[in-house]
Amino acid sequence: MSDQSRRWADRGAGDCYRELDHPADLWLEVQGDSLSSLAENALFALFDTMVSTEDVATDGTAELSGVGAEPAEALRSLLAEALFLFDTQRFAAAGAKVTAEMLGETGETRLRATLWGETLRRDRHRLKTEVKAVTHHLLRVVDEGGKGWRATLILDV
Amino acid sequence: MAAEGRELRRLSDTVWEIPATAGMRVPGRIYADAADIDALAGDQSLEQVCNVAHLPGIEGYSLAMPDMHFGYGFPIGGVGAFRTDDGVISPGGVGYDINCGVRLLTTALEARDLEGKMRQVVDRLLSDVPSGVGSHGAIEALSPPDLKHLLVKGAAWAVERGFGTAADLDRTESSGALPGADPDSVSERAYTRGRDQVGTLGSGNHFLEVQIVDHVYDPRAAAAYGLFEGRVTIMIHCGSRGFGYQVCEDYLEVMGKAAVRYGIDLPDRQLACAPVRSPEGRAYMGAMGCAANYAWANRQMIMHLTEETLLRALHISPRELDLQLVYDVAHNIATVEVHDRDGHARELCVHRKGATRAFGPGRQEVPAAYREVGQPVLIPGDMGTASYVCRGTEEAMRQTFGSSCHGAGRVLSRTQAVKRAKGRSIERELAAVGVVVRSRGSKTLAEEMPEAYKDVDRVVGVMERAGISPRVARLRPLGVIKG
Repeated sequence: MSDQSRRWADRGAGDCYRELDHPADLWLEVQGDSLSSLAENALFALFDTMVSTEDVATDGTAELSGVGAEPAEALRSLLAEALFLFDTQRFAAAGAKVTAEMLGETGETRLRATLWGETLRRDRHRLKTEVKAVTHHLLRVVDEGGKGWRATLILDV
Repeated sequence: MAAEGRELRRLSDTVWEIPATAGMRVPGRIYADAADIDALAGDQSLEQVCNVAHLPGIEGYSLAMPDMHFGYGFPIGGVGAFRTDDGVISPGGVGYDINCGVRLLTTALEARDLEGKMRQVVDRLLSDVPSGVGSHGAIEALSPPDLKHLLVKGAAWAVERGFGTAADLDRTESSGALPGADPDSVSERAYTRGRDQVGTLGSGNHFLEVQIVDHVYDPRAAAAYGLFEGRVTIMIHCGSRGFGYQVCEDYLEVMGKAAVRYGIDLPDRQLACAPVRSPEGRAYMGAMGCAANYAWANRQMIMHLTEETLLRALHISPRELDLQLVYDVAHNIATVEVHDRDGHARELCVHRKGATRAFGPGRQEVPAAYREVGQPVLIPGDMGTASYVCRGTEEAMRQTFGSSCHGAGRVLSRTQAVKRAKGRSIERELAAVGVVVRSRGSKTLAEEMPEAYKDVDRVVGVMERAGISPRVARLRPLGVIKG
């Protein structure tokens, strides 16, 4: 995959999510053509909340996965893993590719992600808001048929 | 008037009650003025007050303070006291930022000592006190044994290393360490997130503020607290950083399963809980204690970093600065306390989520120097207006399990605030009213601008009129760093 196609910024990811009104935290609505693209866009929303992703290079990679009985829990788990990576390895992502699968034995959903990014540097990257947690609160993932997939989730900030 | 079809009775100028109906074990009680109640119409936080009232072992009332808003499970501004023999403990009643709290320091400085130097002081604080997204590195990353020691000792861990004095511990809620903190109840992930964030502020609404005492309402209490008009104070607002967030996340999962196992009927999944004395309840209490202690060590370290920075920036001696801790309060915590209930001493696990302990005169938990006037209650306002020092009362012990509000409370969402700040410079607007602000995050100043918050005077006024926590002193900001 070329560096250009890896980057959210080059794929017009900016319109894939919006902020809904919440009195204190960040309530996000994310759209995607499929569950995979929904998860990629949700990862963008998470990193876009924390750092200006357009300044982030894509030299490094990280592999993550999230599993849940429902797609919503798999998505939350994937985002929580990404936040843990950011918080502990200071790995900021500028792009992601996600594959979604249903696990035959349990019927659970697994989302596997490859993130492209680099280690955060305070002198080079513009920081935004610290995310404390990806909450279960008002967490929804809906398959809207022909209209694609939609998720709502709250980031505790 | 109703919350989601529920009756809301006005009991007084400042107290409202939702009668116990449909599974509620106790009534809901909300401290607010009429304007606040009108503003809450359609907000789900009133429903959350009712949901908390469903939980087993709740004593008296499900309470909400005037800075309440919609939260996760419990409302922010919620107080729930649960009997330790038949009640529950819930991570949703504490929140992600365990022991988020406020520390207030006095100095011997007056405004004239900072004249022409405020910009430099604020810049130095921004560079020397790590803040912002993922801030770390105030001290070397801790080894697992050292971190375990910190989790048990809390603020005393920092004092043992020369970052403060034993007197600081006396002036910290719970002496800066919850008993029963159990490092073995904490996950590896929490250790990993916590190892290099001690002494960091974080971002969002966390701040370090240089202030001036601009009005004293209660000279006797103010003198006991060491607050005098015209004197410079420092306020620190932060919590347990990634360590606490991870403890909450880990135990939400544990409690979700425990609630099913113990057959606890939950009106909202986010209220996942377990009996206080169950293995799961004890494990959460042990881990939450560790996170609370992490936060106290964190604020103790930030106090030390602040002192070093001020000494360097102002070229003065420690004696000339005379930095003293007034008090340190937790406003996201669950603690076991004994309260008088109809003449009987009851052991209760009091959850305060966005609420401050406000113990009245005579309580043994209040430092001896303050025991005659009551505990200092620290209530930060927005960065352009003021913060308050209030005092706990016997009335608070009777009405609210010794609890008060924790801040002004947001009135605009972050998104609305950013929209409203478009085309404006919040930094310049605040400079025009004499407040120097600096932040790490590119959107922080817009999200945290003064008009994003309720009028702190009104919020504090509600608690004062209710007899819970009368004003002692008003602190006006001079310089602010935000994450």
